[in-house]
Amino acid sequence: MTLSIDALKEKFRNPGPVELELIARYAMLPESGQRERAFSAFAETGLPHRRMEAWRWTDFKAAIRSIEAPETPGQSVPLPSGDCPVIAFSGTKTELPTALPPGIQLHSRTDAQALGNAEEVPLGALTAALAGRVGGLDTLIIEVTEKTETPLHIITRSDRDETNFARVAVIVRPGASLDLVESHLGGAGFSSFLIEIGMQDGGHVRRTVLQKASADEAQAVTAIVSLGDKSEYTQTALSFGAHVARLETRLTHQESGSHATLNGAYLCADGFHSDFTSHVRHGAPSSVTRQVTKGAVLDGGTGVFQGKFHVPRTVGQHTDADMQHQALLLEDGAQVFAKPELEIYADDVECAHGNTSGALDPNQLFYMRQRGIPETQAKALLTEAFIAEALESANEGVHDALLEAARTFLAESA
Amino acid sequence: MRRMLLLDDLSATVGEEDEAKTIINGLSLEVPAGEVHAIMGPNGAGKSTLSYVLTGRDGYEVTGGSATLDGVDILDMDPEARASKGLFLSFQYPVEIPGVPVMTFVRTAMNAQRKLRGEEEISAPDFIKKSREIGKQLNLSTEMLKRPLNVGFSGGEKKRLEIFQMMMLEPSFAILDETDSGLDIDALRTVADGVNALRNPKRGMLVITHYQRLLDHIKPDKVHVLANGKIIKTGGPELALRLEAEGYDGVLGEAA
Repeated sequence: MTLSIDALKEKFRNPGPVELELIARYAMLPESGQRERAFSAFAETGLPHRRMEAWRWTDFKAAIRSIEAPETPGQSVPLPSGDCPVIAFSGTKTELPTALPPGIQLHSRTDAQALGNAEEVPLGALTAALAGRVGGLDTLIIEVTEKTETPLHIITRSDRDETNFARVAVIVRPGASLDLVESHLGGAGFSSFLIEIGMQDGGHVRRTVLQKASADEAQAVTAIVSLGDKSEYTQTALSFGAHVARLETRLTHQESGSHATLNGAYLCADGFHSDFTSHVRHGAPSSVTRQVTKGAVLDGGTGVFQGKFHVPRTVGQHTDADMQHQALLLEDGAQVFAKPELEIYADDVECAHGNTSGALDPNQLFYMRQRGIPETQAKALLTEAFIAEALESANEGVHDALLEAARTFLAESA
Repeated sequence: MRRMLLLDDLSATVGEEDEAKTIINGLSLEVPAGEVHAIMGPNGAGKSTLSYVLTGRDGYEVTGGSATLDGVDILDMDPEARASKGLFLSFQYPVEIPGVPVMTFVRTAMNAQRKLRGEEEISAPDFIKKSREIGKQLNLSTEMLKRPLNVGFSGGEKKRLEIFQMMMLEPSFAILDETDSGLDIDALRTVADGVNALRNPKRGMLVITHYQRLLDHIKPDKVHVLANGKIIKTGGPELALRLEAEGYDGVLGEAA
């Protein structure tokens, strides 16, 4: 059965040309209840735009004028995977590893469970609706049943495709652990990756993310994370942005005593936009969140940080949460928008946040130049040192590669 | 005798155009290679300004006169070019560089200078060997040299790190701006030993200080008194002792 395009159009308030194209693509996919729910959730908002509070600085609707392949293929250098298993998504195919370490199983579903909070993450909902391909898989499920040490790499990279939508669900069984390394390298006009991570009691997940795409692409990386009793989640992301890019994380402390670290850094050159948005719900007592986001932006670049800690009455008691965002405006014409929010209803909590932005210190620059370090190199070194703190929590196997990516960027923009 | 640093009728202002204040006012001075000269003077005489004008800090404008190092005009050069030419300033207030370990910083500086001079980079083993030797002389542990530069170091440690950098970089001309401030007696001796170790016939030094104390350890060839932006009196080491005994008022009253 083919769904009626006219019926789909009615779900949208005022679909633009890109939304009509997305409707046409959806209509070509096999029918699935899950996908239908996700697409209906997307239809509520359509492509997110500036008149929506959570998207006021990151307007996908305005940024995506048409769905076209970009001028260049995806970035060529993913984070080094060595002999580790790699899952790769392009706009046209999915490559799965031939062997997996004990404790990790892959399953695919054509009708995965409905997406929690879908209505709050429009691009996540869109991705859930469109990730399936005719004859392909809808959702890749990674089930982790043991403590594992070999990192699992996920690469999204297209060779000049129009779109690349991919969806992964991770289930971490009690006491199991997973090291996840993701490289989101663009190469499609509109790429969107959705990952849902459900951690059961005592589960551990460390997730290290690199996002890099060209200045004529739109890219979204959305994570929905749920933490079980005494589980631990550590996320570290480095983003270079795209024409428009958003790394969004919605995390819930579902059971008590869980610990989350959400670190990130953005480096934006002229014509690049990077948005770090996070929403952390302390839905269980005695849980901890630590968040450090650092950014550096050049003339014509835009950085966005939106962070929210939501601590409900009663269940949020004894929350311990800290949110820091620091930005460097490296040149005149750089833009950074920041909105840190603490929404606290419980009365026995420790919550703090800090938010600063400024230029490099001229005293430091002069001191370095007096020692013979040219001004551009001094700026690069100070900027690298500035953002490095936010990358310390990365997987040690790729930590140096992240710093090297930052260093290359800073050397090139000098 | 080769004239290394030569300042001729140098004048300089500090501050933005409308509020520019003349701080250096017709200053002439020469320091030959192989000599150590001291500049003493009361607060506000222009001592630190002189060091910043010579090293090319933003916000200081030269309004007259000239400054040459080894016969080359340095006033039009960028700070990093002056440094690679061999000019080193030991800062009165060393700046914290968060996230950049001492070793990384010094190696970056050393190689940047070498690059500007068209020389090869120093090899990693040579660098480590040299830094260990000099660190040992200055009582700086390997652990300290791995920490970010000047971050969380005491005043005395920061000054020792300035001397460490000077000994690593081996400048041809060094300006030491109040290197004695913040040092206890033992640290003063360590620092002075480091400075004395660098004295040689090819290197010149200008030691800026308030007090005679440092000059007990670093014997200057000449002592200059700086007041109101110019050198008003020059003498041998005995001049520093007279200043200590009679105060600036006594000596300045005589010169005026």
